[in-house]
Amino acid sequence: MLYVASMWTLARKLLLHDRLRFAVAIAGVSVSVMLVLVQVGLYFGFMNTASSIIDASHADLWVGKAGNESFEFASPFDERAFYKVASVQGVERTERVLMNFAQFKVADGGDLGVQVVGIETTAGYSPLLAPWHVVAGDANRLGEAGAIVVDRSEYKKLKIDRVDHRTEITGVSAHVVALTEGIRSFTTSPIVFADMRTARSFMPGLGTNAVTYVLVRVKPGESVDAVKTRINQLPHLAAYTTREISQRTRTYWSSRTGVGAGFFTTAVLGVIVGFVVVGQILYSGTLQYIREYGTLKAMGAKNSMVVRVILLQAMISAAIGFVVGGVLAVGMQAAMAKANLSVALFPGLYGATLVVTIAMCSFASLLSIVKVLRLDPASVFKG
Amino acid sequence: MTAALALSETLPGLTKAVSLARLAGAGKIYGSGETAVAALADATLDIMPGEVTLIEGPSGSGKTTLISILGLLLKPTSGEVWIEGRNVAGLTERDLPALRARNFGFVFQGFNLFPALTALENVAIAIEMKDPKAKDPRGEARRLLDLVGMTSRSHHLPADLSGGQKQRVAIARALGGNPPIIVGDEPTAALDTKTALSVMELLRELASSHGRAVVVVTHDPRLERFADRVVRVEDGRISAIDHA
Repeated sequence: MLYVASMWTLARKLLLHDRLRFAVAIAGVSVSVMLVLVQVGLYFGFMNTASSIIDASHADLWVGKAGNESFEFASPFDERAFYKVASVQGVERTERVLMNFAQFKVADGGDLGVQVVGIETTAGYSPLLAPWHVVAGDANRLGEAGAIVVDRSEYKKLKIDRVDHRTEITGVSAHVVALTEGIRSFTTSPIVFADMRTARSFMPGLGTNAVTYVLVRVKPGESVDAVKTRINQLPHLAAYTTREISQRTRTYWSSRTGVGAGFFTTAVLGVIVGFVVVGQILYSGTLQYIREYGTLKAMGAKNSMVVRVILLQAMISAAIGFVVGGVLAVGMQAAMAKANLSVALFPGLYGATLVVTIAMCSFASLLSIVKVLRLDPASVFKG
Repeated sequence: MTAALALSETLPGLTKAVSLARLAGAGKIYGSGETAVAALADATLDIMPGEVTLIEGPSGSGKTTLISILGLLLKPTSGEVWIEGRNVAGLTERDLPALRARNFGFVFQGFNLFPALTALENVAIAIEMKDPKAKDPRGEARRLLDLVGMTSRSHHLPADLSGGQKQRVAIARALGGNPPIIVGDEPTAALDTKTALSVMELLRELASSHGRAVVVVTHDPRLERFADRVVRVEDGRISAIDHA
């Protein structure tokens, strides 16, 4: 125990002796940790946004037209399929969803593309999909003709500033009955919730019987997979569990846009920067104390002991850099939230980043370790 | 200093008659073929407890090679090295650290103290590195610093110590783990005359009163008055051994 304490003391004091060099090492690790957290957090933030509507639903299954690649750009199908799904054995409840793009008339006279999400608003039922995080107004008024719910973060884009704001969507009168917070679309088009009838009026080109998805609640005790299999036997339809379509949507946007590769490349670059900085700092520190390390070896210290001192220095740098980088990432998260960018920081990401940081600093110390392992104890007598 | 050295520091079980280390016909050749250089040839030397042995000779004569082989830091290419009653010349570097830890303490011209550690920590860390199971390394370090008259400076960093004080700390560090042989590589070369003599006096005391064998490489003939033997090395060979 005393031995470990002394190793710790030696490692800590060697690191802190040259404070400027120590500060540079910590800065290197911190920036690396922050980059990894923010970049990967941004990726997960975007992915959460991409699947937010799906994840917020209370459905067991989502049924769409077979062959749909993208959740947002799904083809509509005839409402008769809705009744076929509703009649499948094991289905307790079904609801229609209509999704498409429409033109929102903004206050200065221009038009802005919005993503209309038409949902069921039958009184007395808790819908399988409804606007969430309502911060103003009353989303239960969606049943009113022309009623819409928009997100507060889209105020500037839509040039609205209050509930009851009146506008037009594709020439049809609309008024805001509630505002939500944090509901955004991966396509960057503002999401507008409306009742099915209102939504259809906004998108006359789709006809009066179009639906994009059918949401399914499975009867208690029924197997979701079994019901899914039965629905998939219906022609031209494809059923997915909520989890499956959420993952499918994330994968689509991640691979189609290259956003995943972009963020992860930056994160990897962050790790490389940290690796180089820490490696260089540890190596220069090792060179500075090479005669002292040689003296310890000459006096009988085993290689493993000297290596442990260097590894401890790497671990101290990793731990402090991780804490500083983690705090910086939280600051960046707050700053980016003001720009409507969601950085998803969660315990699993912190845990994985800690592992990466420890691995990065350990590998960065390899050059120093090789140096002391090859250090000839007789060198202490030379010069 | 004498008072400090009055502390019990004798090595149990050792008498002047027993050789602590022995070189028998030891030689070292660097390189091979036409580029081979013989740094040391046919060196035979016994290191006895309680004796101060000076090794003198011009630069490049083989002094450092001699003490490197003696201190188990360098493997000879010929001859034998006897430590703890056995020839260890053929042992690998894997086996040597423990032998060095038990038998040798080293003192260097440049002190080689960790600048970030206090005098006490420098000594304690060496004790622990030599023996991870040491029971009270800091207590032992305090005792050794007291032995070399450095108690009052034990919490100072090397940068706050004079050259002589640094060398005393280095000597305390060399004594960590209670090795019977102290090997010094020009330990007084970086010191002024008065300090150099004081350091040599300390090493002499360690030999006379505490039974250590002290082997010191030096260029300084003024140190000969502290020695029991002066080994003269020229052109890679021991040319003479003068007894005091």
